[in-house]
Amino acid sequence: MKRIGLILTVAALVIGVGACDFNISDPNNPPQIGPNPSQPVVAAAVAGIIIAARSNAAGWNLDAGILGREAFRFDGSDPRFITELLQGPLDPGSGAFGGNFWSQHYAAIRSTNNLLNVIGTASALSAQEQNATRGFAETMQAYSFLMVLMARNQDSIPIAVNVPVTAAPAPFVTNDSAYTFVSALLDSANAHLAAASAAFPFSLPSGFTGFTTPTTFQRFNRALKARVEVYRGSRGCAACYTAALTALAASFIDTSATADLNAGVFFNYSTNSGDAANPLFQNPQTGENFVHPSIRDSVETKPGGGNDNRYTAKVIGRPQVSAGVPPLSSDLGWIRYNTASSPVPIIRNEELILLRAEANNAAPNAVAAAADVNYIRVHSGGLAVDGTLVGGTQAHILSAILRERKYSLLYEGHRWVDMRRTGRLAQIIIDRPSVDKVFPTLPIPQSEVLARK
Amino acid sequence: MNEEPVTGATVSLVGGANAAVTDAKGQFSLSAPEGAQTLVVRAIGYKRRQVPVGPEQASIAIRLDQDIFNLEAVVVTGQATSIEQRNLPQAVTVVNAQELQRAPASTIESALQGKIPGAQIEGNSGAPGGGAQISLRGVSTINGGVDPLLVVDGIVISNRAIGNNMNAISLAAAGGNASNQDNPVNRIADLNPADVENVEMLKGAAAAAIYGSQASNGVIVITTRRGSAGAPRFHITQRFGEFRVSNFMTSRVFKDSAEAVTVYTDSTLVGQLCNLPNKACPNYDNIGLLWDRHPLSTETDASISGGTDQTRYFVSGLVKRDGGIAPNTGYDKQSVRANLDQVLSSRWGLQLNSQVIHSFSQRGISNNDNSGMASEHQSLLFSATGGLDYYQQQNDIYSPPELQFEPNDGQPGTVVLGKASNLNLNLLVSGVHTLTTSSGTQATTSLGVQYVDQNFNFTNIVGRNLPPGQQNVDKATSININQDEQPQRDVGLFAQEEVLLMDQRANVTLGIRADRSSVNGDPNKYFFYPKAAVAYRLTDLGGNSANELKLRVALGQTGNPPVFGNKYVNSATATIGGLFGTFVPVLAGDPGIRPERQTELEGGVDGTLLNGRLQASVTLYNRSISDLLLVQTLAPSMGQGQRVFNGGKLRNRGIEIGAGYSIAQRPDLSWIVHSTFSENRSLVVELPVPAFLTGGFGTALGAYEIQQGKSATQIVGQEGVVGDGEPRFRMSFSSDLDYHRVSLGMTWDWKHGGDVINLTDLLFDLFGNSSDYNTGGKQRANAFLGGKTQPYVQDASYLKLRELSLSYRLPARVTSQLFGSRVTDARLSLSGRNVLRFTKFHGNDPEVSNFGNQAIARNIDVAPFPPSRSMFVSVDFDF
Repeated sequence: MKRIGLILTVAALVIGVGACDFNISDPNNPPQIGPNPSQPVVAAAVAGIIIAARSNAAGWNLDAGILGREAFRFDGSDPRFITELLQGPLDPGSGAFGGNFWSQHYAAIRSTNNLLNVIGTASALSAQEQNATRGFAETMQAYSFLMVLMARNQDSIPIAVNVPVTAAPAPFVTNDSAYTFVSALLDSANAHLAAASAAFPFSLPSGFTGFTTPTTFQRFNRALKARVEVYRGSRGCAACYTAALTALAASFIDTSATADLNAGVFFNYSTNSGDAANPLFQNPQTGENFVHPSIRDSVETKPGGGNDNRYTAKVIGRPQVSAGVPPLSSDLGWIRYNTASSPVPIIRNEELILLRAEANNAAPNAVAAAADVNYIRVHSGGLAVDGTLVGGTQAHILSAILRERKYSLLYEGHRWVDMRRTGRLAQIIIDRPSVDKVFPTLPIPQSEVLARK
Repeated sequence: MNEEPVTGATVSLVGGANAAVTDAKGQFSLSAPEGAQTLVVRAIGYKRRQVPVGPEQASIAIRLDQDIFNLEAVVVTGQATSIEQRNLPQAVTVVNAQELQRAPASTIESALQGKIPGAQIEGNSGAPGGGAQISLRGVSTINGGVDPLLVVDGIVISNRAIGNNMNAISLAAAGGNASNQDNPVNRIADLNPADVENVEMLKGAAAAAIYGSQASNGVIVITTRRGSAGAPRFHITQRFGEFRVSNFMTSRVFKDSAEAVTVYTDSTLVGQLCNLPNKACPNYDNIGLLWDRHPLSTETDASISGGTDQTRYFVSGLVKRDGGIAPNTGYDKQSVRANLDQVLSSRWGLQLNSQVIHSFSQRGISNNDNSGMASEHQSLLFSATGGLDYYQQQNDIYSPPELQFEPNDGQPGTVVLGKASNLNLNLLVSGVHTLTTSSGTQATTSLGVQYVDQNFNFTNIVGRNLPPGQQNVDKATSININQDEQPQRDVGLFAQEEVLLMDQRANVTLGIRADRSSVNGDPNKYFFYPKAAVAYRLTDLGGNSANELKLRVALGQTGNPPVFGNKYVNSATATIGGLFGTFVPVLAGDPGIRPERQTELEGGVDGTLLNGRLQASVTLYNRSISDLLLVQTLAPSMGQGQRVFNGGKLRNRGIEIGAGYSIAQRPDLSWIVHSTFSENRSLVVELPVPAFLTGGFGTALGAYEIQQGKSATQIVGQEGVVGDGEPRFRMSFSSDLDYHRVSLGMTWDWKHGGDVINLTDLLFDLFGNSSDYNTGGKQRANAFLGGKTQPYVQDASYLKLRELSLSYRLPARVTSQLFGSRVTDARLSLSGRNVLRFTKFHGNDPEVSNFGNQAIARNIDVAPFPPSRSMFVSVDFDF
């Protein structure tokens, strides 16, 4: 009898333990955004899109700065800032170097698509609020696509990526089609913003101050559109320069006497928990990031003496440090981002003015172009007016624009792209001709290629 | 004849319930019914003996033979059953206390090195306090858990390794590899080796199937010491010794200023420094200075055991300090263990095991057990084991603002405070029924249920920008907090039938286990893991009862559960300017994820030959792992880097040989040698995704690539396949020689083949600082810059003298003169670990894993803590 009792006890335990429900929901992270999202879920997705877009921003300014010889990084524990980015070959397999500036942008793009896919079902939002959300998400998605295009100059860009992760990878399209797509996406966003509610149904971080309603956000959208159209112009699309001027007129461009050249949209950083500190901020005397000495070599002096204000505001001397074989050296440190919470620009008024100069120069309208270039020289650099511009050739004016862009947009990820799109990569100074190269593009990441085999 | 009393032997009557235990003089008394009887004497380490006793006989002297190859040791075959080694149908290696304690070990894993065929036990670095990976029979998974299941006295213990988030300071994850490289230590390192009675290694599915979906990496069954009835017996070991660095990479010595200028460029500065005659440069061995410490290391180990027929106890204490070879390093451990056995009635007993350990703030174990009734030909044992394992770990890292590298991020000073706790609740209820027929056939049926509830909770706070002298996280102006919870519930139901047939020469075992777990996509679905095994003994070979040969074959399945969180399709989170944001995470979960399934077929021959002097065991195995937890690297344009799913198939085939030979077995001279050999080859049989990289820093620096039709551990570089992490074979050799009062023991461990990606060498070369820069470093660096990774994927074969010990037992006369008559035994010994090392590897140590325990991506060397050798002088007393 005892035996039967024991067997029954075991059997009861087996059934008892066997029957309880083991469903445990994720204790650490919220689920992916799904149908009929509530307003807080939409707001979190919006902030998440900005966070995802921010993840590559500072790293781009450093790496593009190294590729375009604005910066060096002498990193004792990772030689690839020298061996790969200056000497090559660029490794498509290393996510931090040659294969960089791809996956994180596409993560931001997927985040926007996940929101766009369900925003129409959000019953907590009005149709106008849904449009406001669409306009925001599409603008940010266009920005991320544009950043992919800035890093790569080969006709292998996937666009149709709004598919499940189990689907086949999106086909590659040419850069021209991709620029056309981005331009159209910005227009679609602009139309949604025009049909939107007066206010966004969410808050935007402080980097977006001044652009926090659908109407003011449109000015940011048009500013990005202007950059896209000028880039398309330098790829041979003459009509695009006209489109750029139209977009600029609707943007936040300002050349009034009291204009703030630093007005614009930024990624803001902080040292708060969960937030990111600006990784470009280092102690300029001891950090691993250096200014390329050629930045000092070509700096102009002000009429009353002293270096260009833009140079003195961004560069500072430090003890000389050498690295690499043969050695590279620099005695200049960065003060461009001088606190851990210094914001990194997405687009600023100063760039818009120089974009307008470039578009006018292509028209050709040398007078208007010269006016904008000289405005920047005087207001931003404290330099004298360049009298050679009016009456100069288009090529001469373009060189002047690129010189101003070099100092105005220093350490903001433009120099390498500018030299490439204007066919001047050969003019970039190479320190060690025996080993160094200037690369026209980053390679398509190895995993992107392997996934299609 | 020089014979010694056997203490603690159990003497019982065949068919009777009474039993006695021999005392320190080997004496016992037992009352018996009238008439002729048969006595059975059993003692650990000795062969069982049956002796007839005549009806009038009042005393008897019984001589026991040593069981030098542990053939009668009892081995676990199920959750509630066990069997003598000689009948076992699978290859299970048992390492006993004597083998474990040949030389002092910081942690128990290092004491197992070179003793288990088929086990690869390799340190992750030379840092004090352990951190070794035990992998059994090759690669068993690519992305699943890699650690064997750890069962201590019947309780599943969490063997989790928790990183300390040193990454907050080293920023290791910020480079090319997103992994933290914190080098965490597994919890098995907490056990005090002196408390362990034996360690059993169930290497694969064939032996471990009864542990179901947790056992794919094998099972380590650890039994701790228990008391035996008798007067209190004391044992004290006191050790003094030191650790010394055994190898480290040195830096380049410049012969003159011309050479120094090629690296440092500043000729003025170099000119000032290289001011010796002929412009020679002075050399400062800064690396050597860092590793030149050898402080006194001590260990005090004491235990008391004893008890009555009703109550038995074993209490031990350990105080240990291993001095580190670098300033401010070292390993401290204090532990207390108490194991109690209480007979409550003839049917009920109570076991209480408890251990309190303090080593990096971790805490121990307790459990209880009650067990049951017996009749003459049938027995039914009902056992319920409940246990809980709770531990806490605290990490404090303080990097003061004054350190030279701290201002670089503009936020001088970093403090990391990590707190982890884990609660494992275990419930194991089983019934075992044994039927013995008059013909000697024995059938054991077991049935049970096991429930494990784990709650892991980890909080990590990183504070940056500290005021000088302040170490509390709340003083930091920049604070980041992370919390990670991993609740998990598992239940397993099992049934097993073991039959001993044909005069106990044949063993047939069948079993099945059904498991479900909250980490599976469908948490309510059961997964079934069957097993079957047959063994047959050919006895009395050549007319000698000591000679026998066993043929065995076993087939079994086990699983490896999905990693916590694989089933969730979730969002990553962060904040920007105080706004909370969600975005796509790198890893896309699979709501249908299920465990990996390993099927293992193993067969072998065990023989005891040459009149019992040679014991050899050969095992061949074929294990295939299907439904692998694969992480598909997505086209990054998908926006998510990876997707988990089940698929693919991996195969391991190998051979394991273990042999022991008793060269001499006389009272004044005993010499036994053991040797092991193992070889394993893995193959990726099926891969439903394109070849992908796992671990490493990208192909330029060498990375592991999983590719169909290739070895799972192949290493690829810029130019293609450049190496393989898996050794060609491993061999070990050990010897135990006792001559009169002197004992000499040693263990040699030989790994042949297996490559290491030596990035330390690369960094030294690229910055022109390697000691052999002129004779080799420059060529290596140039080859690397010319697109070759091969120079930095280096052969890591080694031969190490793991253990060496020489001990002397003081004569009884001297012992009693010096310490009084109470001391029954006193020994003096000199012992060392990792005493000698032979390798051509060009780094600190060929045993290295920058990323800690890894399924595949071990053997990556990025400036690891260098290895050390230790030498100890010990005195042991028994009284």
